[in-house]
This record gives sequence, structure tokens and C-alpha cells, in this order.
Amino acid sequence: MNPIAMTTRFTLPGLPGINLQVPTFRLPAFVTRIGQSLPQWPHALGLVGGLNGLLLLKLLDAEALEPLTGRVFAVEVEDTAAVARFTFDGLRFVPLLAADGPAPDLTFRATLSAYLQLLARQEDPDTLFFQRRLVIEGDTELGLLVKNLLDAVEWPRLPFIAERT
Amino acid sequence: MVSSTPTTTTSAFRIPHLVCPAGSLPALKSAVDNGADAVYLGFKNATNARNFAGLNFDDKSLREGVRYARDRGREVLVAINTYPQAGRLAEWHGAVDAAADLGATAVILADVGLLAYAAERHPALHRHLSVQGSATSYEAINFAQDAFGVRRAVLPRVLTLAQVENVVRHTTVEIEVFGFGSLCVMNEGRCWLSSYATGESPNTVGACSPAKYVRWEQQGKTMNARLNGILIDSYGEGEPAGYPTLCKGRFEVAGETGYALEEPTSLNVVELLPQIAAAGVAAIKVEGRQRSPAYVGQVTRVLRQAIDALKAPGFAVKPAWQSELAKVAEGHQVTLGAYDRPWR
Amino acid sequence: MSNPIKLAIGPILFYWSKDEVQNFYLQASDSPADIVYVGESVCSRRCQLRTSDWIGLAKDLAAAGKDVVLSALALAESEGDLIALRKLVAACAESGGRIRLEANDLGAVKVAAEAGVPFVCGPHLNVYNEATLAWFAAKGAVAWVPPLEAPRSLIAPLHASRPVGMATEVFAWGKIPLAFSARCFTARHYGLKKDDCQFRCLDHADGLTLATREGQSFLTMNGIQTMSAQHYSLLAELPALLDLGIDALRLSPQSKDFFAVLAAFDAARRGEPAGLPAACTDHGTCDGYWHGQAGIAKVGAEDDTLVVAASGA
Repeated sequence: MNPIAMTTRFTLPGLPGINLQVPTFRLPAFVTRIGQSLPQWPHALGLVGGLNGLLLLKLLDAEALEPLTGRVFAVEVEDTAAVARFTFDGLRFVPLLAADGPAPDLTFRATLSAYLQLLARQEDPDTLFFQRRLVIEGDTELGLLVKNLLDAVEWPRLPFIAERT
Repeated sequence: MVSSTPTTTTSAFRIPHLVCPAGSLPALKSAVDNGADAVYLGFKNATNARNFAGLNFDDKSLREGVRYARDRGREVLVAINTYPQAGRLAEWHGAVDAAADLGATAVILADVGLLAYAAERHPALHRHLSVQGSATSYEAINFAQDAFGVRRAVLPRVLTLAQVENVVRHTTVEIEVFGFGSLCVMNEGRCWLSSYATGESPNTVGACSPAKYVRWEQQGKTMNARLNGILIDSYGEGEPAGYPTLCKGRFEVAGETGYALEEPTSLNVVELLPQIAAAGVAAIKVEGRQRSPAYVGQVTRVLRQAIDALKAPGFAVKPAWQSELAKVAEGHQVTLGAYDRPWR
Repeated sequence: MSNPIKLAIGPILFYWSKDEVQNFYLQASDSPADIVYVGESVCSRRCQLRTSDWIGLAKDLAAAGKDVVLSALALAESEGDLIALRKLVAACAESGGRIRLEANDLGAVKVAAEAGVPFVCGPHLNVYNEATLAWFAAKGAVAWVPPLEAPRSLIAPLHASRPVGMATEVFAWGKIPLAFSARCFTARHYGLKKDDCQFRCLDHADGLTLATREGQSFLTMNGIQTMSAQHYSLLAELPALLDLGIDALRLSPQSKDFFAVLAAFDAARRGEPAGLPAACTDHGTCDGYWHGQAGIAKVGAEDDTLVVAASGA
């Protein structure tokens, strides 16, 4: 399997009627090595920007996020060696840029492929967890809350995409 | 195992309804879009047996869910299936009232006091006897019919297929059975294992082995799963893990270590569908309100195809169905559970 | 009548030989117990005593002056289970009120109510609130046993507001019956099928202990029933139970030292010094449920043998 040659169309997650299939893959080791030598803050900025976008669009309910306030999260991508660390300040998500900050309350660890499958709602997080493809460490109840909050996000249906059945 | 079974036509034969779980609005839509006849769900509080952080419905999302399902000719069933705690009846009464006001087709109840309340206050709202009500015999089910006008009863996952058939023969209450999902090996509604370890149980707070008591510890290459400090299981490198539901842990009995109670498995009755339909079972339920919209969509799609295949003669299990279902199964294995005599 | 609280011997939850059962009830008839439960409530395959034998025992104990209750099966699955249930109810009806029924599912409530037989709501009927208790009272319940997981904070208000004529009986001693299953764990342990279990429960008079992989005693396997490894003990709570005006305490039978335990509770209810025999538990005692905590926890006084679960770090 050559992951670089894949031509899968990635699009907005969870869109109904889009026949996208994210294959299971693992990026080659040299990607991991390169990733380890790169700064980590762009990942955190990107992820936090996306989460705050969900807040702005009211796809995530700020009130429901209240229990996340002050908790530290880490999202690790195994095969790109990317680590995003961030917290929630009660209003919006904030990246944590210092590499030696507080220990995360909750850490997710998986390959890029697994994250993409999760985002596309192609795979169920429990399934990935049972298969040990998704590792969740730390406060389990917090992990469950985050999982359930993301599951409850209603991705918008875009009118220009014809639904297929 | 059984790959082809002729569809029998006895007087009891009926195509069962497909009842699917939803822990969120996207999951509800996923169930409806993939062919569920009914969706069951609960409120965001201790009145239902899947009371997990971030899961379930408030009035607004339930109203929208009911509209989405009804517009497509499907039903919404609201599970209010924990036991009202002394002095707090108002919370459970409020949930029944809200289900009625928001247009649910039925409420799924376990407590007899609550059944009596719903029958008196909301006679037009259908009442289903929850699996948590532990009605394993037709005497119990007929009693609930006489007393509360119960239309449907969900059978605990403890009966063989022959016993299910016997129940159907002796009652006019619709019978619903579990068809797919994580297997509760204990008789539902009568299991206090969770509160023995943590103080909280499905009957009281609506959660088994609650997440706040769960700790995963990585020790070298071993991962330990603890529930309130009690070691439920540990997994070697690469070994498939399971949520530490305590009946599914590995323990030591008389010097032997293993799954002393139950292995993490999922129930899957697809190969028994012709017999279930022939027995006159009215509905098949999918477990998993705590699972994601992806799971709900996958399982609903497969079971819809399998149930529709009952309408033509010569039902045959498609390998693709089984591989799709096996993929989302807890512990990656499937079983026929108690329906199958050898399991006993 | 002079005793402020009655003592009840619960049904034998384990599988004992017919001789052992008869010896046990011979002692029971001579004991300070006020109420005696008889009958098979766990597994319908157990056949050392037939339904008619249990009914015979019940009559003998009633003749000896005990309040007698016939316990019905908690998990009725087959037509045979219902036939046995109807026999028990018929025997209660014939006794003219001397013998009552312990109902542990709605089917038993139905058969008892239709025959006009007064019944006890067993711990598995799930009475958690005042409306449910009142509903069962209207169907003929004369006593109730709170769910084993119920804390004092749930039992006290329900007892205080109980319907007229309803007695409250609290489980106060024994391994806690925690769960029922379609599956037989004892048979499974021996690699046997439930339908061909070779009655291995007979070899384990107090069940088979299940421990964690760190050696912490945790549960007891008793056929299709799962119990606590620890003995629930409310002996230290007797002053509180008397204070609440609880009507009866249920002591659950075990093979060793049971009547010494009964004697300790008997002494305690009369305000005399009471101590438990050293060998009456194999894995210590617990009382967490009463105090609103994890059932396995030990909160009250006495006993030092228990390994209490460390709370999560």
C-alpha cells in the first residue's frame, strides 16, 4: 500500500450522501521522523481554529462545553509525530504552545488514517478503541464527554451537494 | 453457521420492526436514514439507563428528532427505564410528561409506580415494558398488560428461542427482543455488580461501571483497566481492549484466570432471523445508545437489509452482513447469546 | 412480641444436599428466629428438594410456631417454573394465611394477587420509591425487602411513609445476591453446559470465590447467581435500625456458624453484648451500601480482615 498515492477525496466530515471511504493506512516511518523534528504549535493552532469555528457556527454548544473548562487536552498523531495541546477557557479553545506545560487531563493517540475515519463518521470511536487503533489516556469520563459532544455535532448539509442513496 | 433457511409461514409469522438506538440527533438521523422503523432514546438525566456525560437529548433536540422521524413515517420511543428514587418521583414524572408533550410514540418504562402514572396521566401515549423491568415470563407480561395497558414488552437477554416462542404464544402483548449489540450477560434490571464496586448502578443512576470510576494505566507494555481501584482487566501489547464493564473482566477462580463471567462479545441474531420472525416476535432491538452515529448507521443498514430479505422466500445470510457487523462488535466476536441452547 | 425487631432467616441461596437442608431447618425451628423463608429462589435445576418437599418443610416450621414464607424463583424462564410457582401459591392459599409467598418477579405477584395470597416483596422486585411500594401494597404485599443496593437514606423515608400494615425487612447479614444470569458460571468454570451441569454447586456450600488478578477477593459465583465475596453485615448498625423502627432483619444462610451469627444478632437486639464468631466470614465484611457508598466498602465499626478497594488515583 502506498499511502502517498491515494486519491481519496477528503471533504467535510459526516456529509450525507457523499460516498467517501477513508482507507486504513499508516504513513511510512520517514514521515514520522521528519514530523518529530518540526515545531508542534501549528497543529495546535489548526485544531483549535477548527474547534472554535464549530463554536462560532453554533455546531458546538458552549454551555455543554462548560465541564471542559481549564482541562488540558492532547491530540497525538502517531505516524506524523504531530502533537496538539490545547485547553478550553470557558468561551473558546486556546492552544498551549509550551511543550513543557501541564500534563494533559486527556490524551488521544491514533494514526492520521484513524482520525480521518473518525471525522468522516466512517468508523465508530468505540470500534477503533476496541481494536487498540485509538488510545485514550487520562480521565475516562472526560474522554467520554468529548466523544459524545463530537458525536452530537450536526454537520451542515450543503445544498449544492446532491444526496445519493 | 446456518447459511440458508426456508422462510416458514405459520400463523405467528411476522416481519419484525427494526428498533435502533440514538444517543444524539445525528445518530437518530443516521438510524432513520438507514431504515430503522423506530428509534429509541433518552433524556439527559438519570431517568434513563444510558446516562452518560454529553449523551442523550434535551427538549429541543428531542422535538427536532421527533419531527425528523415522523416526517419519514418512523416512531420515536423514549426510554425512561431507571427506577425513580424515593422522594424524587417528580423528575421521572416530568420525563414522562415531556415525552408525551414532545410527541413520542411510546415510553419504555421499568418501574411499576411509573407505569401506573403514565397509564393514568397519558393514556394515549403507548407504554412499553423495558428490559430493565425483568419480565421473563408471560405471567409477568400479562400482568403488566392488565395493570398498565402495556402494548409491548422487551424480553431480557436470558431466554432461549423456544422460551421466547412460548411467551409469544401466551400473550397478546407485542414482544421485542435484542438482535444486535454488546451483550449484557446478567438479567437486566437485576444486576448490582456496578454499585457493589462503585456505588452507582443502572437502576439508580442509569449507568453501569460509570466512566468516572474508570482508570486506564499504562504499565510498560501492559494496560490495566480499573474500576474504582478494582483491577478488572489488563491487556498485553496489541491485545484488543474492552471498556471495563465489570462482568467482562478477567478474574481468578480456583487458580484459573480468565473471563470467569463473560467475554466481551456482541450479540448477533442475523442467522436466527427466520426463526425469530416465525415465532411472531414484533420487534428487534439494536443495543448501543452510547455508540456513535457511524455505528448506528452501519448496524441499521445491515439489519434493514437482512430483515427485508425475510420478505422473499429462501432467506440466506450474506457474508458481507456478518463481516460488517463483526467489525463494530465489542471484543470483535459475536454470539447468539441465550437464544442458542449450546451457549447455556 | 417483646423483641423490638424480628429476625428472619432468608432462603438458602446455595445448593445443599437434602440432609443438610433438613438439618438446617431443624436447627432453625429451635432458634430465636421469628420468620423463616424456605424454597429455591436461585436455580430451577436444583432438585435435592422438590416443590412438595419445600411445602412440607414450610408446614412443619409453621407448626413449630414460626412465621413462614415460601420463596419463589427470581428468574422464571420455563413453563415448569410457572407450574412450580402456582404450586407454592396454592400451598399458601391452603394455609389460610399461615404461610406467605416471597415474590421476586411480576409473574409471582400476579399469581399471588389473583389467589388473594399475601406476599412479601423480595429484594429483586426493585422497590425504590413510595409509589411502587403503595402499588404492591394494593396488590396484597404485607412486607418488603429493599433492594440490596439501597442506602439508609432511601430505606428510612420509604419505611417512614410505608402503607398501613406493611412491614420493612432489611437484609442485614450474608453474601449479597448481586445478579442473575441465563448463564451458569459454576458450570462454565468446570467447562460444562448449564443443561448438563452435573450439579457442581453441591460441591460449593458457600459458592466459589472470584478474585481480581491482584488477589483481591471480589465476588462469589453461585450457579446463575453472582454474589459478593464479602459478607454484608449490619450488626454494628443495629442501634440505628432499632431507632428507625425497622420491623425485621434478614440473615442469609451459610454453611458455617450461621446459628452463631443469628445468636449474635439476637443478643444485640436485646441490647446485650454481641460478637461474631471469628470464622463466620471467609473474606471479611462490608457495609458500603447502607452508607451510600460502593457496596464492597467497609465504613462502620469492627472487622479488620477486609481489603477495601482503593479509590481511583
